[in-house]
Amino acid sequence: MGEVKLFFGPNHPGMHGNFSVHMYVEGDIVVKARPMPGFLHRGFEKLMERRLWYQNVALIPRICVPEPDINEACYAMAIEKIARVEVPERAQWIRMIVLELARIANHLWSFGGIGGPTGMYTSMYWAVADRDRVLDIFEELSGARIYHMYIVPGGVRKDLPPKLEDKIYHLLDYLEAKIPEYETFILKNRILHTRLKGIAKIDTETCLKIGVTGIGLRATGVPYDIRKVDPYLFYDKVEFEVPTATEGDAYARISLKPKEIIQSIRIIRQCLEKMPSGPVNVKIGEGSGLRIRVPRGMAYVHVESTRGEYGYLVVSDGGEKPYRVAVRGASYPQGLYGVEHLLPGTRIDDVPIWLDSMGVCAPEIDR
Amino acid sequence: MMSSTNNIGLEEILSSLNQLFEGVSTEKVDPRQYKIITPPEKTIPVLEFLKEKGYSHLSILTCIDWIAEKKFELVYILFNWGTGVTFVVSTYVNRDNPIFYTVKHIWPTAEYYERDVHEFFGVKFEGNENCEKPLILELWNDLPPLRKDFDPLEYSKKHYPDREYQKDAIHEARIIRGDVRGEIDG
Repeated sequence: MGEVKLFFGPNHPGMHGNFSVHMYVEGDIVVKARPMPGFLHRGFEKLMERRLWYQNVALIPRICVPEPDINEACYAMAIEKIARVEVPERAQWIRMIVLELARIANHLWSFGGIGGPTGMYTSMYWAVADRDRVLDIFEELSGARIYHMYIVPGGVRKDLPPKLEDKIYHLLDYLEAKIPEYETFILKNRILHTRLKGIAKIDTETCLKIGVTGIGLRATGVPYDIRKVDPYLFYDKVEFEVPTATEGDAYARISLKPKEIIQSIRIIRQCLEKMPSGPVNVKIGEGSGLRIRVPRGMAYVHVESTRGEYGYLVVSDGGEKPYRVAVRGASYPQGLYGVEHLLPGTRIDDVPIWLDSMGVCAPEIDR
Repeated sequence: MMSSTNNIGLEEILSSLNQLFEGVSTEKVDPRQYKIITPPEKTIPVLEFLKEKGYSHLSILTCIDWIAEKKFELVYILFNWGTGVTFVVSTYVNRDNPIFYTVKHIWPTAEYYERDVHEFFGVKFEGNENCEKPLILELWNDLPPLRKDFDPLEYSKKHYPDREYQKDAIHEARIIRGDVRGEIDG
């Protein structure tokens, strides 16, 4: 049988965001795969150079659609590092709560997303509905469900609204009771076992060689988590575990998500207990109002996103606008090099499983 | 998992960088982040040296356009999973004829970062045969867009001119609604 060229995406139920893979197939085996990014290129890095430091806060959450808060955190922390500003303690704890809530929301979202490539739609109905409960908290906190623009250089925009802490506790109790059900009804379901076990496998050596981080790496048995290895905010002051699996297949990666949610719940509880009262933001640099100046300098800040290492390199020339901002999308290695070199040899229907379970996120590749 | 080389002290690495490679300067950004500026001919040996010492994870390879100094700064960010220390290794290349060498033999993913940098800054990487292939931009025929002398507003105006409207649609709508008297063309 001859070789046939097939297009996967840019619109496909198994792909989140617009991303395409040109596949050359023989029968149903992929012989060659070429990643085709660029459908979501919006020129963020250039746009940021043309806007004030504070204006960018409204722009950057859009770089990674499902998990916007990591952008705000990286950007704000990089500016604070250059300006050598100490953020008030309460703001740091609030940032951790926001980041962990975002982690829960995104894990639920992608846990539901696995319904697309596998046909196990129950996971989608359940997880997306539960994610909405997290978004309710975000709405009350920041006024927005998806793009919060809440973490700003110097701290957070406002203090927690009254009674939000009780609502967060209530949400955590609900999720804690719900997660075992996910494990019983979804992870033990035969559809997921058949479609994910032994599929889209990757080993530790390949992960480290090509720079895969996050769940992709941890599912091969390596407990590397930036929150532990290079702690930012107060991650060194809370107790949590880094769940790992050893199989390195799609099932191992998906089954780590509920375990990580449990750890995030643990972290948020500790944050709420340890959080002191006090101010939640300080002024950065000289200048009036939102028109600030950041001293000359360069800093790289990275955080652990749900897909792995997510980082910002921020360069300032001492002006009112950033001189250069470069974004390290967490799924760059597995989305481009991984697609080209690790997909050949797999079946056509396993391509979306790779893209989904490795967390390939098109908007952060294109930027 | 972690090899014994990972545990070599930071001080030791910094001092051996200065001893082994002439012209390399180091600067502390914070206790877990250091900036290393290398002359172009020393960059790849420095990167190979650091990889051997445990800085084996290439977070990103990117570029900064210092137009006033007529230089491009290539930035390699390396991370050590054992110690949690980040090294920001950078080097400067001439802006008029920006050519550097590939590092894809050290980090395979660099192939894509180099394509990215070529597309957005126009830096060529010798040894990376795919470096000039378009990656994210489609049918781009202007200056590489992240260069400081590229003006996106001017580009948009040139490629997407403002529409000229022949009809005053609001006026016509008011005529139809009977707010004003008049006639509608066509």
